[in-house]
Amino acid sequence: MYNDGNGVTPTLRAWGLTKTFGVGDVMTTALRDVSIELYPGQLSLLMGPSGSGKSTLLAALSGLLRPDSGRVLCLDHDIWSMSEKQREHFRLKHCGFIFQGYNLFPALTARQQLEMVLRWSGISGWREARQRTDAILDLLGLAKKANLRPNQLSGGEKQRVAIGRALIKEPSFCFADEPTAALDWKHGEQVIELLRAAAHDGGATILVVAHDSRLIPHVDRVFHLEDGVLVEGIERPLSLVAGDTAVAAEY
Amino acid sequence: MSYSLATLWYERQRYLPGVLAVGFSCLLIALQCGLLLGLFSITSIPIDESRADIWIGHPEVPSVDLGRPIPESWMSLLSQPEVETIEPFMEGFGYWVKPNGGMELVLIIGSRLGPGAIGPVRQLSAQHRMLLSEEMSVVVDEGEFSRLGITKIGDYAEVIGRRVRVVGTVRGLKSLAGPYLFCSVETGKALLRPPPDQVTFILGKCTNKADAQKVVDRLQAYPQKISAFTADGFSLRSRLHWLLKTKAGIALGLAAALGLLVGAVVTYQTLYAATAASLKEYAVLRALGIPRWRMALTVLAQSFWVGLFGICLAVPFILILASLGNDAGAKVLLPWWLWTGAISVTMTTALVSGLLALRSLRLVEPATLLR
Repeated sequence: MYNDGNGVTPTLRAWGLTKTFGVGDVMTTALRDVSIELYPGQLSLLMGPSGSGKSTLLAALSGLLRPDSGRVLCLDHDIWSMSEKQREHFRLKHCGFIFQGYNLFPALTARQQLEMVLRWSGISGWREARQRTDAILDLLGLAKKANLRPNQLSGGEKQRVAIGRALIKEPSFCFADEPTAALDWKHGEQVIELLRAAAHDGGATILVVAHDSRLIPHVDRVFHLEDGVLVEGIERPLSLVAGDTAVAAEY
Repeated sequence: MSYSLATLWYERQRYLPGVLAVGFSCLLIALQCGLLLGLFSITSIPIDESRADIWIGHPEVPSVDLGRPIPESWMSLLSQPEVETIEPFMEGFGYWVKPNGGMELVLIIGSRLGPGAIGPVRQLSAQHRMLLSEEMSVVVDEGEFSRLGITKIGDYAEVIGRRVRVVGTVRGLKSLAGPYLFCSVETGKALLRPPPDQVTFILGKCTNKADAQKVVDRLQAYPQKISAFTADGFSLRSRLHWLLKTKAGIALGLAAALGLLVGAVVTYQTLYAATAASLKEYAVLRALGIPRWRMALTVLAQSFWVGLFGICLAVPFILILASLGNDAGAKVLLPWWLWTGAISVTMTTALVSGLLALRSLRLVEPATLLR
């Protein structure tokens, strides 16, 4: 077993991850021997310039994109030695995702977008799905918007619905790819705080990929990826409050 | 409301072509088949509208309008305990020479005319029968006047060299090949000139209609080479003969199949495009581990709703067009089993289109959502 020295076991541990795209002479190495450990109850931020391999690392860690080499242990399960079906089941049981595009079904209300996940994943029946959905919409400040469709919601509200969709299963892991990129800072701050609360209050392991350094004061740990190499991992004290510009300035 | 139905309603503009295509297919199938049934039912009018239960004709007679002379003495064959009435029946084609020139093929139908006669069609009233008892008088369908080149009851024309007089009209008895001329057996013989003591058919009526098949079975076992049928059997035989001989059924069937194909292709395209437009949303669900079959079920549910709405849209139009067709003289029959068949085939087409549209779900790839 691994731990952070304080007795906490990492929920996600990856090492030796490499990933190359392209064929022949046109080859791009997205990940070069990347190793990382993530802990429960922590909101981790993965930063880096465009094309540095952030999203590829997130995909490899979350079971969406098979790396060329390396291993990923999530809750002690080697996800890349699982079959496709097993991996799908693992994601169903343990993973939530947030993407930059909200990717909400245009015809469905905020409530239906969330209910659908619970009902289609077989996690709960109709009644329980409704209760859990309304509870999380309330938590997200969307109780009054439950019956609105995406075109009736602002960008921030849509992203909050997308967060609700990712968290409604109460997953062990939540992977977010540029969740604030399409939002102004006010809404971006709301989103990162919601994710932080999900980590701290819900005990989830959350990894956010972003390039906005203003997020740094809101997270527990910061990783930096450049040219496919995880050059440094900055562990931040959990007590650090928002507005720590000294660390933010490093980025 | 299900998610698929909610999507269908919200994006109704997108799904409308599919709904219309399915509706059009259903309409085409129902009306084509209804026309086909109506068309073939015309060929067996002399059987269906008479009161006879048993028909005896020339060996291997293919259809009621293609009878050949048989000895009138065969009437004795029907002297059976179950049979209460036996009558001769004349039927055959002839040429009608219009008063102002020109010729028209006609189908001469000569039957007994008495009050208990079993040969005449039901549309012939007692008045008609009385008038027809006059030699060389005929009754025609009122819709055939222009075809026959006459303008009113009382007009004369020539049939196979004999002068006939139109003494009355009936409604709803248009013929497929040529207008029916209803007359007495005697007038029929005078016009068709069969060999002496020969008629075209011999009809029988049983005390109990249910005995007809038993009598027919008995007659078929006789050494004489005759064809004996129940009225229903001969009616079906006549319809099938024309269906196969004229290839009309094949033509109408092909047209219906074409309509079905167009419906299937448009529905498939609609569902495929609609699913492809939601690939990113489906990809998020795939990332969340929702199995692909749940999404497939949604696409199939959408195809079901498209089918159902298309059918609901088609039904009133089918009824209106069938009514207009009947008013215009084209007989359209829509029995319950035709409705069931048309709706089943249409719904199956919509669902198959949905199954084909599932191909688009293969494009769902969660990793593509990452930038």
